[in-house]
Amino acid sequence: MKILLFVIFFLTSFSKFAFSDEHSDEQQIIAMGDIEYGEYLGAECAACHLQTGVSEGIPVINGIDAEVFVALMLAYRSKLMENPVMQMIAGRLDDEQIGSLALYFSKLDPPK
Amino acid sequence: MSKISRRAFTGIAAASAATLAFPSISLGAVPKVVVIGGGAGGATAARYIAKDSGGAVHVTLVEASKRYYTCFFSNIYLGGFRNYGSIGHNYYGLAVNQGVNVVHEWAVSVNAATKRVKLGSGNTISYDKLVVSPGIDLKYDSISGYSAAVQDQMPHAWKSGTQVQLLRNQVMNMKEGGTFVMVPPPNPYRCPPGPYERVSMIAHQFTQSNPTAKIVILDPKPKFSKQGLFEAGWQKHYPGMIEWISSEDHGGLKNVNASTMEFETDLDTFKADAACVVPAQKAGAIAMAAGVNNGDWCPIVPASMQSQADENIYVLGDASVAKSMPKSGFSANSQAKVAANHIRGALTGSKVFDARYSNTCWSLIAPDDDVKVGASYVAGAEAIDVESKFISQADDSSETRAANYQESIDWYNGITADMFS
Ligand SMILES: Cc1cc2nc3c(=O)[nH]c(=O)nc-3n(C[C@H](O)[C@H](O)[C@H](O)COP(=O)(O)OP(=O)(O)OC[C@H]3O[C@@H](n4cnc5c(N)ncnc54)[C@H](O)[C@@H]3O)c2cc1C
Ligand code: HEC
Repeated sequence: MKILLFVIFFLTSFSKFAFSDEHSDEQQIIAMGDIEYGEYLGAECAACHLQTGVSEGIPVINGIDAEVFVALMLAYRSKLMENPVMQMIAGRLDDEQIGSLALYFSKLDPPK
Repeated sequence: MSKISRRAFTGIAAASAATLAFPSISLGAVPKVVVIGGGAGGATAARYIAKDSGGAVHVTLVEASKRYYTCFFSNIYLGGFRNYGSIGHNYYGLAVNQGVNVVHEWAVSVNAATKRVKLGSGNTISYDKLVVSPGIDLKYDSISGYSAAVQDQMPHAWKSGTQVQLLRNQVMNMKEGGTFVMVPPPNPYRCPPGPYERVSMIAHQFTQSNPTAKIVILDPKPKFSKQGLFEAGWQKHYPGMIEWISSEDHGGLKNVNASTMEFETDLDTFKADAACVVPAQKAGAIAMAAGVNNGDWCPIVPASMQSQADENIYVLGDASVAKSMPKSGFSANSQAKVAANHIRGALTGSKVFDARYSNTCWSLIAPDDDVKVGASYVAGAEAIDVESKFISQADDSSETRAANYQESIDWYNGITADMFS
């Protein structure tokens, strides 16, 4: 899972150099974010993503690197990553919303 | 419109509305929210309002029971995959971590004009905003011959509590090769795939302890949720054990007799050795007492979960008419977050964001064969409209089905922490 995560991160980072497509730039997406909005949107995620401790299947995303987060969400949104639940969740988030969530989750304490 | 996003726009609109509303709340007083019902909707609402307002709103949760046994995963318990204790939760986290004032009493009436809730003890509590999330009551008389008096012989086990333990005992002690009769409820009801997951789990238990047992489902409906997936799973895992009889074939349940354990239909009279009977349902009684119902259920405003009858009362979860969302714990938890955001905005002037809802329901058919259905929703003018949806596929790999089960366990841990921690 973690390996996949980095592969996707590098792929999307690479594609941004290759095509210089503004909307695939994690930094720009994060810059659009609003942390208070991220907190509101993030409540939906808490139904499945545990806030503390470890879980077997659904990863804890508190404290996740903001750029990795954006890369993952874009991968679910474009259906590059397969999980139907996350495709549905990410599918309705626009860049500003993904940026807001990135700000919010990256600022939370990672599980100990 | 390109300069102001929809979110910022609603934020501004809410902020100005809130400034106008403030004079009605006496200056300096901490605004008060009362939540009736500490289940999937109410516990989540209490937790989010308290947590996010950081003391700026005083939250009282009125919940009759000291321990909440989730209906979700009660079927997993019936299948022998979990113990009963593991689906019980208490309210210490809400009290200690979030500062919610938890009152273990029945709410007996609501005076919407004076904004007061009366408790069983005779005490009253006043509110600025009231959240009503009492779940369901059963319409026992929807089935001739069924009543609260015979519910222990033919448990419904459709509400939090000890009925599901009773049902498990009856399943475990049913005579060898006997017949189990399941009567699912008519629409609309709590947890559409629930009766069929229940049958799956009882069938699984029978393969372990009573392999020649039979299960007959006398359905008041001609079709049901995830039908194709369930029927394929039953064929695969429990061939010959389960017979589903559509209302079109049996012509309707005419009477049940708890002493002879007979189920009379047009087609035939079925004799059971054990049974589960789930009658029709309606919103919990306190919703009727608060006057926010229209018939059996409570219409809401899709953008906020406010009652259509009273803007100071929010109705969440099973009691509400949240069409197109199913009545599920996931839905109730999702609705609670929208209401919490709206209530905080109204009471403290915090930003109110656009309503967004989602739901996913997992059902375990057999060990490591779990199917799911889900959707995301937006607030329409008349109803909560589906935005996108998904459902498990008939040709899913067994790895996918096993991963679904693991996902559902993580969801269970996630949502119960999201309600009670
Ligand atoms: C067998 C089964 C399986 C299910 N599986 C799933 C599943 O897998 N996923 C899913 O999402 N959902 C599932 N559900 C549905 C889920 O349990 C309900 O939809 C959910 O609990 C609804 O939440 P609620 O807040 O409306 O009501 P509840 O969770 O029932 O909470 C209501 C609470 O209010 C209290 N109360 C009521 N009236 C009063 C009063 N007057 N004063 C004080 N307290 C009061 C009750 O004691 C109760 O604790 C299942 C249900 C069943 C029956
Ligand atoms: C219905 C349950 C559910 C909800 C709600 C949900 N997720 Fe997920 N999430 C999952 C599952 C399951 C996975 C693992 C998917 C996979 O295997 O690819 C996952 C994976 C992720 C990952 C990848 C993490 C990693 O380390 O690989 C991110 C990021 C994520 N989710 C973010 C979110 C956000 C943000 C939200 C809320 C807007 C959210 N999720 C809501 C179930 C959910």
